[in-house]
Amino acid sequence: MGLGMSGKPSGLIEDEYLAFFQFVYAIYKKAERNAEGYQDRYFIIGERPVRLRFVGKGLISSLTPALAHLEIPPTDDPQLTVLLWDSVSSGTPISAVLSRYFDCLGEWWIHLGTRGEIKELTNDRIQTAYHLGPNIFSIIDLQENLALYWVKDAQALPYYEIGSPLRTILHWWAERGGYQFVHGGAIGLQTGGVLLAGKGGSGKSTTALACLEAGLLYASDDYCIVKTVPEPFVSSVYNTAKLRSDHDLDRFPHLAPLISNKSRLENEKAVLFLYRHFPDKVSRGFPLKAILLPLITNLKETRLRPATAGTILTALAPSTLFQLPGAGGAAIKAMSTLVHRVPGYVLELGTDVSEIPVPIIGLLSGG
Amino acid sequence: MEMLGYFNIKRPDVVHETVDGETVIVNLENGIYYSLRGSGVDVWNLIETGANLDELTSMMVDRYNGSPEEIQKAIAELLVVLQKEGLLQVSSTKRTVSQTPQPLSSGEKMKFDPPLLEKFSDMQELLLLDPIHEVDEEGWPHKAEGDGAGNVRQA
Repeated sequence: MGLGMSGKPSGLIEDEYLAFFQFVYAIYKKAERNAEGYQDRYFIIGERPVRLRFVGKGLISSLTPALAHLEIPPTDDPQLTVLLWDSVSSGTPISAVLSRYFDCLGEWWIHLGTRGEIKELTNDRIQTAYHLGPNIFSIIDLQENLALYWVKDAQALPYYEIGSPLRTILHWWAERGGYQFVHGGAIGLQTGGVLLAGKGGSGKSTTALACLEAGLLYASDDYCIVKTVPEPFVSSVYNTAKLRSDHDLDRFPHLAPLISNKSRLENEKAVLFLYRHFPDKVSRGFPLKAILLPLITNLKETRLRPATAGTILTALAPSTLFQLPGAGGAAIKAMSTLVHRVPGYVLELGTDVSEIPVPIIGLLSGG
Repeated sequence: MEMLGYFNIKRPDVVHETVDGETVIVNLENGIYYSLRGSGVDVWNLIETGANLDELTSMMVDRYNGSPEEIQKAIAELLVVLQKEGLLQVSSTKRTVSQTPQPLSSGEKMKFDPPLLEKFSDMQELLLLDPIHEVDEEGWPHKAEGDGAGNVRQA
């Protein structure tokens, strides 16, 4: 890639985007050969089969628990294949050229978009992102539905990637297929459920876990995939629950023994893989009947009040857009369509957590 | 602020949608988002047609009851704010657009209420963080507690 008049890297010519993808693919193939094979696992994500091909032993145990409720038998017709490897467990260092390029991304203000997009390596077909910190590289060829995911050492993956893996790749792929990855929780009944929208700390996890305790199905506390055609539907992506503080553990003390990262709670939020413990209560998805905006109040009673579509969109769209590399006009349009199709409510959260599900059950039961 | 040219929404950094009389505008470059209501929704949607101030005023006068002076003053004030917020760009030539202004469905003019723009910056810091030094263990974009020691992204 060359330097533009500003001194910043200019974009590639059309063929070079694909050539870059193929370059990374060749690096992956080398790792595959060195590791003497791969292991395939299949999942149904956003209603479509996805194949995850793991090279090395490092990533498979870290990235599959969050998706365990979506695992399916092998299929000949996956709609997306993601090739995953880490250099340490595959025994294959990434190429020196790519390694140096990733080092350059330390100057993120030049190379990366606000959400981790590698600006000079992204076009309509090839999308790339680099998640600084854990240094996760993601690239997808949207024409071939083939993605690559690399991290240097799987053992260094942060807990949030283990709890919600492959967000960037799944977002890119979902959007191109007419689905939308959203920042929101989802709970409900098999006949229909609600999306819980709002930024972090608004009460999505507390609401989702309170509803799980009350017997509702759990699809998500943070991220899911929605579609509006032919009818609004929400698909679970991760069976993860995150407890953010000791206060959360006080609310749900019986969940404490189920925490998967107990030894690291000084530096990490508590992560639970609910499918391990409540397999009958974790849902792959359900028709979407309403969108709720949790709002913490000091009232004892939890109650619902109608919200305008604009209020719902204002809560749902920014927190989704700001987290997903490359999300833009198509994503906000998809969310706008969604808020047109289903009613919205503010969920005024009462202080009695056990009562939070009551108005939600009433809403879903037609009460 | 520039008032003589043709106004355009600053794509692709700015995305927007109008639902039920409210336009949600999101600036993906700096993490600020807005709710635009009242007559501002019509002004925003007319900006999509690549209009200048006189054209915007003429189209709004066709839609609303009010003196042209009052309406133009309100539009101009909104255009100043939208430019200051980095949501618009101004060009000296009119771009070709497929959209044409929609006429009033009822044919009756509405009461003119000044545009109302509400600004939300509660998520801005998440996009302006140094992703290496200022994030907490939840990752980017999640701000660490306390003062960050790293760089701040240039908005």
